[in-house]
Amino acid sequence: MWANLALRLFRHEMRRGELNIILAAIVLSVAAVLSLSLFSARLQSALNDKTAEFIAGDRQLSSRQVIDPAWLQKARELELNIAEQISTQSMLFANGDLVLADIRAVDSAYPLKGSVKISEQAFSAGREVTELPPENQVWMDARLFQLLNIEPGAEVEIGDGTFIASRVLSDIPDRGFAVFGNDQLVLMRLEDIAKTGVTGPGARLSYRYFFTGRDADLDAFYQWLRPQLNRELHRWRSVKDDESAIGNAVQTAERYFLLAIMLAVVLAAVSIAVAAQRYSQRHFDPVAIMKTLGASKRLIQKVYVLQILFVTMLGIVLGCVLGFVLQHGVVMLVSDRVPVSLDTWYWQPVGIAVLTGFICALLFSLYPLMQLFGIPPLRVLRRDIEGSGTKRLVQYVAAGGAIFALMWLYSGNLQISGILFLTGALLVIALFAVSVGLIHIGRLLGSGNIGAWQLAWARIQRRAMNNSVQLISFSVTLLLLLVVLALRNDMIKQWREQLPQGTPNYFLANITATQLPVLKQQFTDFTVNAGEIYPLIRGRLTEIAGEKVQSAVTKENEQPAEARRPGLGREANLTWASNVQAGNKVVAGTFFGDDVGDYPEVSVEQKIAERLRITMGDILTFDIGGQTLQAKVTSLREVNWQTMQPNFFFVLQPAAMQDFPATYITSFHLDGERKQALASLLAPLSSVTLIDVDARINQLRQIIDQVSLAVEFILVLVLSAGSLVLIAQVQASMDERRQELAILRTLGARGGLIRWSVVLEFLIIGLVAGLMAALAHEIALYFLQTEVFNMSASWHFEYWLIAPLVGAAVVGVLGAVSCWQLLRINTGQLLRNML
Amino acid sequence: MIECKSVNKIVTTTEGQLQILRDINLKVEDGQTLAIVGASGSGKSTLLSLLAGLDEVSSGEIILNGQPLHALDEEQRALMRGANVGFVFQSFMLVQSLSALENVMLSAQLAGVDDAKGRAEAILEQVGLGHRAKHYPNQLSGGEQQRVAIARAFITRPKILFADEPTGNLDATNGELVEQLLFNLNAESGTTLILVTHDSVLAGKCQRQVIMHAGELTESTSPSEQQRHVG
Repeated sequence: MWANLALRLFRHEMRRGELNIILAAIVLSVAAVLSLSLFSARLQSALNDKTAEFIAGDRQLSSRQVIDPAWLQKARELELNIAEQISTQSMLFANGDLVLADIRAVDSAYPLKGSVKISEQAFSAGREVTELPPENQVWMDARLFQLLNIEPGAEVEIGDGTFIASRVLSDIPDRGFAVFGNDQLVLMRLEDIAKTGVTGPGARLSYRYFFTGRDADLDAFYQWLRPQLNRELHRWRSVKDDESAIGNAVQTAERYFLLAIMLAVVLAAVSIAVAAQRYSQRHFDPVAIMKTLGASKRLIQKVYVLQILFVTMLGIVLGCVLGFVLQHGVVMLVSDRVPVSLDTWYWQPVGIAVLTGFICALLFSLYPLMQLFGIPPLRVLRRDIEGSGTKRLVQYVAAGGAIFALMWLYSGNLQISGILFLTGALLVIALFAVSVGLIHIGRLLGSGNIGAWQLAWARIQRRAMNNSVQLISFSVTLLLLLVVLALRNDMIKQWREQLPQGTPNYFLANITATQLPVLKQQFTDFTVNAGEIYPLIRGRLTEIAGEKVQSAVTKENEQPAEARRPGLGREANLTWASNVQAGNKVVAGTFFGDDVGDYPEVSVEQKIAERLRITMGDILTFDIGGQTLQAKVTSLREVNWQTMQPNFFFVLQPAAMQDFPATYITSFHLDGERKQALASLLAPLSSVTLIDVDARINQLRQIIDQVSLAVEFILVLVLSAGSLVLIAQVQASMDERRQELAILRTLGARGGLIRWSVVLEFLIIGLVAGLMAALAHEIALYFLQTEVFNMSASWHFEYWLIAPLVGAAVVGVLGAVSCWQLLRINTGQLLRNML
Repeated sequence: MIECKSVNKIVTTTEGQLQILRDINLKVEDGQTLAIVGASGSGKSTLLSLLAGLDEVSSGEIILNGQPLHALDEEQRALMRGANVGFVFQSFMLVQSLSALENVMLSAQLAGVDDAKGRAEAILEQVGLGHRAKHYPNQLSGGEQQRVAIARAFITRPKILFADEPTGNLDATNGELVEQLLFNLNAESGTTLILVTHDSVLAGKCQRQVIMHAGELTESTSPSEQQRHVG
C-alpha cells in the first residue's frame, strides 16, 4: 500500500511541479559534476598526451647502463609499447673539421609520442616526419652543418663509421630544456650505432626506454620495477614528475580541475540542501493530515524515503543526460583550440556523478526528512507547529560528513580535503557569528515609519535565524565562486609571466673567453636582444662542513650503506657573479660583495641546501678538474626554476674563481622569421653550441594557452552552477515571503512598496554576503595557494569592492524577478494557496 | 464512548508553565452529538486534540472506545485514529497534491478499507461532488473543499467524528450545506459527533453543549449562557 501511495504521490507531485525544485537541484548537481569531471578527464588525457611528447612517451626510463632484458619482457607482458634510444657524445668529422656532437640512436618505434621534425636546409622551419633516417644516413642539427661547413647530402664520419648527413634535424620530442652540457644532435638508426664503434667497452653510453600504455599498466610496471632501480643509475620519469614549467602547469591545472569539481559538488550539495528543506516544509501539512488520518510514522517514512529515491533516480538519469550533452557541447566548442577527443568513454566520472547524486540527495535531505517525519498530527489544528523530533546538530553532522566524504572521494587526499573542510567549517562558524551580529545591528535601521526600507530590515530581523542560514549559503556560494575566479586569474597570470614576449628561445654554450667580444659585437650588429652572460665551470661537491658526501650507488628506496651525507651524485654547474641573478631571491644571509675573507663565499639554492643539509656558515669543498676549492656558505637563494634562463645551485664569489678556466653561456631571443639569420650570427663563433628551444617554447606556450582556455571553461561551468544555486536559494526563500506578500497585498500595499522592500532585503543580504565572501576567500585562498597549489599567496583587494556590489546586484535582481512573479499572481490566488 | 477523567494540560512557554486545561471531566455516549463552545483561547481546540488523540494529556485519563488514549504512544494513537476517528477541520486540510477523489481514497486506504476507489466515488456523489472528483483542492471552492473533507471523514465509517469549526471558513449558504451534510451523514451512520465551534446556532443543533472557559469545562444549561461564553 505504501509503495502504491508513494508512487501515486510522486506521479502527482511531478505532474504538479511540487518536486521541481529538488529534482532540479539533483539534476544540476549530477550534471555539473559529470560535465566537469568528464570534460576534465578528457582534457587531462589530451594534455597528458600533449605533454607526453616532451618525453617522447608516457613514461621514460633513463639508465647509465643496459637494463636487464627481463624488465622489457615484463613491460611487454603488460602490453606496454616500448621504444629504445642509446645516446653518447662523439666527435663528428667532415671536411677537415671536428665537432663534438650528441649522438642519438633510436629504434623504429621511436618516438612513441610527438614527432621528429626535419628540414631540407639549415636554419629553416622543420616539417614533421614519421620515418627515421634510412640505414647509413644521419640527420643533424643545422649548427653542425654550419660548423662542419657542409650541405645536406655530404658524408660525415662518426667513430669508425661513415654516414650521409641527409637532412637537417629541426627537432626531436625529448630534446628537453636542459641548457648545460648539451651538444648539437645527430639522429641515427639504432642498428647503425654499432658501425661507429663508439659503443665498445669503456664507452659512456646513456640508455633511454620509452613506454606508452594504459595508466594502470604503466603504474603496475613501475611498482614492479621500483625496487630494482638504482637511484644513481636509473631515472623514471613521467610528465607529472617534471618540475619544468609544463609539468608544473599541468599539475596545477589538474589540481584546479579537482578543486573546481569539489567546489561544484559543494555547490550542488548546498542547492540540494536548500531544495530538500523547502520540499520538507511544503510537506508538513500532508504529513500531519496523513498522521491524523491514522498513518503511522513508519508508513510516512517509507512513503517519503521512496519518493526521495524516485526523485533521486530520476534526477540522476536526467543529470547524466544533461551533463553528457553539456560536456559534449563544450568539447565541440573548444575542439579547434584544445585537442580534446570524444573517442574515449570514461566510466569513472559517471560513477562519481551518480554517487554524488545519491550521497547529496540522501544525506542532505536527511535532516529535512527527519523533521518532516517528526511533524505531529496536532499541526492540523496548530499550523505554527513544526517538526522538533531531531536536533539541528544531526543535520550539520550529516551534511558536514557528506561534504567531507565527497571531498575525500574526489581528491583521494586526506590532507587537502581536511584543510579545505576545516577552513570551510571555521569560515561558516565565523560567518554565522558575523551575520547574526549584522542582523541585530540592522534592528536599529528597521525602526520608524513603515516604508520599503523598514519592511526589508524588519523581515531580515524577524527571520534572523533563517536569514543567517541564507546569508551563509549566499556567502558560501559567492566565496566558492570567488575562490575559483581568483585562483584562475592568479594561475593564468603566473603561467603567462613565465613566458613573456621576448622569452629567450636560443641558448649558446661552450663560448670561450676569447669569443666573448666577438659574440657581443655580433649581437649588436644583428640587433639581437641577449640575456646575461654567465661563466660556467663544472665541479664535484666532495665535502660539506668537513664531512665527505655520499658517492655509493644506492637503490631508490634504500638508505645508503655508507653513513655519509647525501651528495649531488653528479658534477655541479658552478658560476660566479657580483649581483643576485634575476629570478633569484636571497632568503637567508646576504649576497657577497667583492671582499674575500678567510674563505671565498658561496650562495646556495635553498632547496638543494635542504636536501644536502647545508646550513649557513658551512664550508663546502669542490673538486674542479683535480683542484680543490673551499667556500663558505653566506647566503641561501630561492630560485624560480620556471624562468627560461640558466639557473645555478651554487654561485661563487668572482674573486675566488679567477684562476679557473671557464666557458660561458648566454641566451637570446630571435623572432621566428629571423631564424635564417642564425647562420650568419654564429658564423664567426666556431665550437659554440647552439641550443634551439624555440620549438619547445612555442609548444609550451601552446600548452599553457590550452590549459588556460580549459580553466576558463571550467570557470564558466562552475559560475553557471553557482548562479543556478543562487536562483534556487532565492526561489526557496520566496516561499517564506509569499504569506507576508499576500497579507501586505490584502491590506492594500502598492506593488512598488512590496517590490522595493523585497529588492532592498535581497540587496542588503547580497551586499553583506558579498563582503563576507570577499573577506573569507582571502583566507581560503591563502591556504589553497600555499598548501595545495605551491603558489605565493596574494591579496585581492579589488574583490573587497567588487564582490559586495556583484553580490548585491545579482541577489537583488534575482529577488526582484522572483518578487515580480509573485506580484503577477492575484491576491485571491495568493491567499488561497496559503490556506 | 469517550470518557475524560481529571484531564489537565500544561504547556511550557518562555514565560513559564501555562495550564490550558484544568481538571476536565466529560463523558460522551455513543451516537451522541456534542458541541464544545467557548471564547478564543478558552482551550476548546486543545480539548478536541486530546480527545482525538492528536496530543498527550499532562495528567488524567481519556478512554476512547474502551482504549486508554493516555497510555498509548504516538504510533498506537495513529492506528486508533485510522480505525475509529474521522476529522473535519476549519481549514479543510486536504492534501494539495492529490485530487478530491484521491484525498478521500487516502483516508480509506490508510484505514485498510476494501474498494477504496469505489467507495470514494460513491461518497463524493453523496456529497454532490461526483463531477468534481478529479479536481485538485485549489480548483475547488471553500464549500466544495469542506464537502470533500466530510466525504473523507465518513468514508471509513468512523465511530467518532471530530469537527473543528467546520463552517468557520464558509459563507452562510455553504455553511448551511456543510452543516446539513454533517448531521445527515452522522445520523445515517450513527457516529458520535464532537464539534468545536463559536457558532451558537450550529452548537444548538447538537444534542448536548459544553462550555470551555479559561480551561475549565461546564455543562451548558441555556442558549443564552452559551452566547455569553462564545462572546
